[in-house]
Amino acid sequence: MYGNDDPDDSAVLSAVHDSISRLPMPAAPHLEAITARGRTRRRRRLGGLSIAGAGACAALVVGLTGGSGPAGPAPQHEAPPVHLAAFSVVAGPGGATTLTLYPGQVANPNAVRQALAEHGIPALVTAGRFCRTADQPAPGVGQVVVLPYRPPQPIGGGPGPVRTGRPGPIVIYGSAIPRGVKLSIGYRQDPGNREISFTLIQAGAPLTCTSIPDTGPHGDD
Amino acid sequence: MSHENTEFAEFFQASWEPCLRAVVASTGSVQLAEDQVAEAFARAWLSWRKVRRHPAPRAWVVRTALNAGASWWRRRRRELPLAGHDAAAPSDLDDGLDAALLTALRHLPGRQREVIALRVFLDLDIDTIAGHLGIAPGTVRAHLSRAVTTLRHELSPSQAMEVD
Repeated sequence: MYGNDDPDDSAVLSAVHDSISRLPMPAAPHLEAITARGRTRRRRRLGGLSIAGAGACAALVVGLTGGSGPAGPAPQHEAPPVHLAAFSVVAGPGGATTLTLYPGQVANPNAVRQALAEHGIPALVTAGRFCRTADQPAPGVGQVVVLPYRPPQPIGGGPGPVRTGRPGPIVIYGSAIPRGVKLSIGYRQDPGNREISFTLIQAGAPLTCTSIPDTGPHGDD
Repeated sequence: MSHENTEFAEFFQASWEPCLRAVVASTGSVQLAEDQVAEAFARAWLSWRKVRRHPAPRAWVVRTALNAGASWWRRRRRELPLAGHDAAAPSDLDDGLDAALLTALRHLPGRQREVIALRVFLDLDIDTIAGHLGIAPGTVRAHLSRAVTTLRHELSPSQAMEVD
């Protein structure tokens, strides 16, 4: 195989090749997932200035709420608002809860999960992985999650997932999550490749986790 | 679908696995490698007009993936105080791979790992590797030779003897 190499070297290289070749490799993702990722990257590259501006706004929000409590109407939940550098979870609007993952930070998934649990939202939170169950239960993640810069999903929206790469508040309607169902939140917060994906999962069911999120019907990427 | 898109789709389908194996050999993690290779193919799609004229497009993908991985580790080192998150551990190859070989591969210097990946998994010859890396063929041979010497010492004698 490595005919131009020294025979002894070739034996070692063949051993390396054979060992790695025995490993089962995950199948190639759909081409659409690759091109969507490329388009996201191109948008980020072209919109670097506006993203930087959004980051500055986010920092301002942290500064205001961290010192003097939550802005806007009084929270309707008993749980206290959580404000950390990497993310925030606050009550409102209405009976919903607003989650914000700030650009340039990596949120601790356990901290995000605990903060959401305090607001009555059962969630599986993963960083760098995107997990789902074979069945994506009713009522559809579009009824539970509203992404930034998008109008609320229409009643009867598909089962999901939904995903976004844009910074901004994500509104979660925890009361719409049925018993026995969890919200799976996966995110990647690399500066050049920021993605957040949401899907509903059956609690306790086997999970399939990938490093690349599914392309959802409602997503903006 | 345009001709260029069709061409990229064919390249992607044919090249995903060899590129992934090459990056796995270097990173020691299928999960990390999968993400890095996906990122590299996304960049190849963006720059396809340039990449399609590259003398070794698969080598371009592998090198881009490895560079993306290096950036990821730099960022992760900075982010560790905030973390505790469950991003991939550096090795998730529990099945089917000789642990000594994996350890030896991961401990090679970066350039040697890169040369091994291009030589073994993309089957590129020395001159093509040299052209791709922008170094002299003799330097490639030196990197390869050092890597092989290290691996030979690390591999068990029985494993080395199994190969013709």
